[in-house]
Amino acid sequence: MLYFEKKENISNKSKLIISLVSLLIGIFFGGIAIAVVGINPFAVYKSLFTNAFGSWYSFSETLVAATPLLLITSGLILVFRMSVWNIGAYGQYIMGAIFSSYFAIFMPPDLSKPLMLSLMFFGGLLGGALWALIPAVLKVFWEVNEVISTLLLNYIALYVLKFLMYGSWRNPTSYGFPLSKPFPESAQLPIIFQHTRVSLGFVFALLAVIAVWFVISKTKFGYEIKVIGNNPTTAKYAGISVGKNIITAMMISGALAGLAGMVQVSGIIHFLQIKLNANYGYTSIIVAWVSYLNPFLSFMSSILFGGLESGGYSIQISMRVSYGIVGLIESIALFSIVGAQIFLNYRLRWKK
Amino acid sequence: MQENNFSLKAVNITKKFPETTANKGINFSLKKGEIHALLGENGAGKTTFMNILYGIYMPTEGSIYIDSKEVKIKTPLDALQNGIGMIHQHFMLVDSLTVLENVVLGMKNQGIVIDRKKVKQKLIEISNMYGLDIEPDKKVWKLSVGQQQKVEIVKVLFRGANIFILDEPTAVLRPQETGPLFEILRKLKKDGKSIIFITHKLDEVMAVSDRISVLRKGELVHTVNKNDVTKEQLAQMMVGRAVLFDFDKKEQHFQETLLDVKNLNVYAESGMKIVDDVTLDVKKGEILGIAGISGNGQQELVQTIAGLRKASKGTIIFDGIDITNKTPRYVAQHGINYIPADRIGMGLASELSCIDNAIMRNYYKKPILSGCVINYKQAAVHTQRIVDEFSVAVADIKRPIKLLSGGNMQKLLFARELFEDPKLLIASYPSRGLDLAATEFVRKQMISIRNEGKSVILISEDLDEILSISDRIAVMYSGQLIGVVNAGQVDKNTIGLMMAGIKLEDID
Ligand SMILES: Nc1ncnc2c1ncn2[C@@H]1O[C@H](COP(=O)(O)OP(=O)(O)OP(=O)(O)O)[C@@H](O)[C@H]1O
Ligand SMILES: [Mg+2]
Repeated sequence: MLYFEKKENISNKSKLIISLVSLLIGIFFGGIAIAVVGINPFAVYKSLFTNAFGSWYSFSETLVAATPLLLITSGLILVFRMSVWNIGAYGQYIMGAIFSSYFAIFMPPDLSKPLMLSLMFFGGLLGGALWALIPAVLKVFWEVNEVISTLLLNYIALYVLKFLMYGSWRNPTSYGFPLSKPFPESAQLPIIFQHTRVSLGFVFALLAVIAVWFVISKTKFGYEIKVIGNNPTTAKYAGISVGKNIITAMMISGALAGLAGMVQVSGIIHFLQIKLNANYGYTSIIVAWVSYLNPFLSFMSSILFGGLESGGYSIQISMRVSYGIVGLIESIALFSIVGAQIFLNYRLRWKK
Repeated sequence: MQENNFSLKAVNITKKFPETTANKGINFSLKKGEIHALLGENGAGKTTFMNILYGIYMPTEGSIYIDSKEVKIKTPLDALQNGIGMIHQHFMLVDSLTVLENVVLGMKNQGIVIDRKKVKQKLIEISNMYGLDIEPDKKVWKLSVGQQQKVEIVKVLFRGANIFILDEPTAVLRPQETGPLFEILRKLKKDGKSIIFITHKLDEVMAVSDRISVLRKGELVHTVNKNDVTKEQLAQMMVGRAVLFDFDKKEQHFQETLLDVKNLNVYAESGMKIVDDVTLDVKKGEILGIAGISGNGQQELVQTIAGLRKASKGTIIFDGIDITNKTPRYVAQHGINYIPADRIGMGLASELSCIDNAIMRNYYKKPILSGCVINYKQAAVHTQRIVDEFSVAVADIKRPIKLLSGGNMQKLLFARELFEDPKLLIASYPSRGLDLAATEFVRKQMISIRNEGKSVILISEDLDEILSISDRIAVMYSGQLIGVVNAGQVDKNTIGLMMAGIKLEDID
């Protein structure tokens, strides 16, 4: 008979395996969906894979997509570890993009590049942090559920962006399209690998992961996060200020999402527009879970999901498969990871 | 040999965990219609052994027989099908459901629609048969701990169990609830049911059990008939030496006031006044016992002193400093350490390692903290010192604290607070769940800091404990201080009456 036995501890190796298996399950069901519309799923996946990892250039595009995922996920790991559910990276990302674009659009274009980029950098951090401060304060002082408030703020952020893009920030020469004027050269993040779109933002992302790893495993703040996440009553008893820590972590998380928005406009798009790929904010939630809130696993997951995103764009064109299939794979992967919790806590055994 | 006299037999049971062997070749038998007490020090392997019988763990080796037939118990469901039911130390009831709903919850053969009438009738039948006094339609959160325990018993009875396992059932009960529980156990026994019953209290063992088994370091070292042993012999079997509860209490002249509480009012979350105009002082070098039936404001009073609750009126002066409504950190840094009653709910973070739990009071101070970085090497050293000095049984301090046995968690918590060298130690039920030797040790520790001129507030329902180590005893009833008496001048009876709300001057 097959039965479950409760496991006492979970190794990192089994976490890694389960993450990968979950992704495979997502891919499997995605394949069924593709087959249903009458396209050969193997051909699609082959094309997706080559478009994500097949050549140096396609891999560099994967890194481009992995950069915002990695930045946002790093911040989410902090707040999720204290059981604060920030669903608002989408809005924080948009706000970061808006704040940093302000400098690119309204500062004199002949500002020195380091100065301009620094302004944009801190603008991005600030925009995201302030947007995350709102739900944090609401939660700490009035016990407003952060899931709902962050979600609502996502819509508000989008409308703020629309308001600006159809209003005063629109480029008068864009023929009515909701675009800002293009960023001057001084407002564009330098490219770190020639002939690719991988910008300095990728370095920011790497630094963010390392910093978050350091914070959670070495510092006093990280210790307090652990205790709050495990038992808030005990945290309070130990003299840890739960409210202060929630606000700090939320602001860091928002700042990193805002920085991702800055990297996108300054490194990739080079102007502000309505379509900013803010969906990275939602995908990152999945990446964070698939990584079990572990910074190093999140690095690998971001590359995998980055590949899914970038490869997904290409198959849309080359195989005429809807991009929605990528979303499908991602969400099934999330479901399997949640379902896999049972395999993490129990061991499947066979006994007569 | 009357083989079929046994309802359960466990042969050569061994359970290995990655870092410890919790049970080593245990041979255990349970007779039909007997109450079998299981004794042993903290971490001896009692809970593990019961969890094996109940299908929560599989044994690494060994076999289990029920009514002389070998059975494999892989899940609690298997256990129930074999007639084994367990009442855990932490109850497994759903607060928001009624008693009846809790009873049918998780039962397979009830079909999709529950025949409430039939279930209710059966519940009332069972309840009357054993004098359980259950109201099927009452919501569980409205019940006292003792009543919840009865619901757990009914749950097991309803599922038709013949073998009852109770893991430290009396640790959560008030002293006056223990007697009625034993009555129920005796009735079950008369009905031919068999009972395994874990406790650390030898009086209870002598009161209800027929046979007694003693576990030591994972091995079953003795099984004896109750009539063949004395309490002293049992203590000797468990600990390997005699345990003496005689303390070296120095004569003390109390003069200086350390803590001065004046006219304190505290409201509970529900809006009810839970501490009502309490005025109280603690002298340097004294142990002040606070007696009272649980729920009469003792916990709230000390939590307010510890900074965990807000006082709506009154002042708390500690060592010349006003600490009224200051933060828990402020209070702790000025020399008050607090051991909460419910360690899993407050005081420990069960998923975190023993190290993380051990440094909760000093992680923000040197040498554990340097700059903003925690020195986990130093933290491990600190933890190891706690573990060694208080002989906490732990295999690996880097593993989650929830893997420790109940008593060892309590020891670690107690040690952590004592290591801060407090001027005032507030201890709620400090010996709850501790074995004999550890209880003796904890009480000695409290006396020894008292002898050094520091103070202790001891909250306990165990009147023997309170009377044996306190200098003065304050009794609380419905949020008010009924009176403060010198420990040498009263007996258990008087305290008991005061706990029921009768003032000292009204007792003849
Ligand atoms: N899941 C587990 N993984 C690893 N070790 C465990 C686990 N459960 C228990 N242990 C260890 O097994 C030993 C026996 O623990 P157990 O809980 O059975 O003790 P106990 O006799 O019930 O003690 P207490 O009186 O303190 O409740 C302890 O050293 C404990 O740390
Ligand atoms: Mg136990």
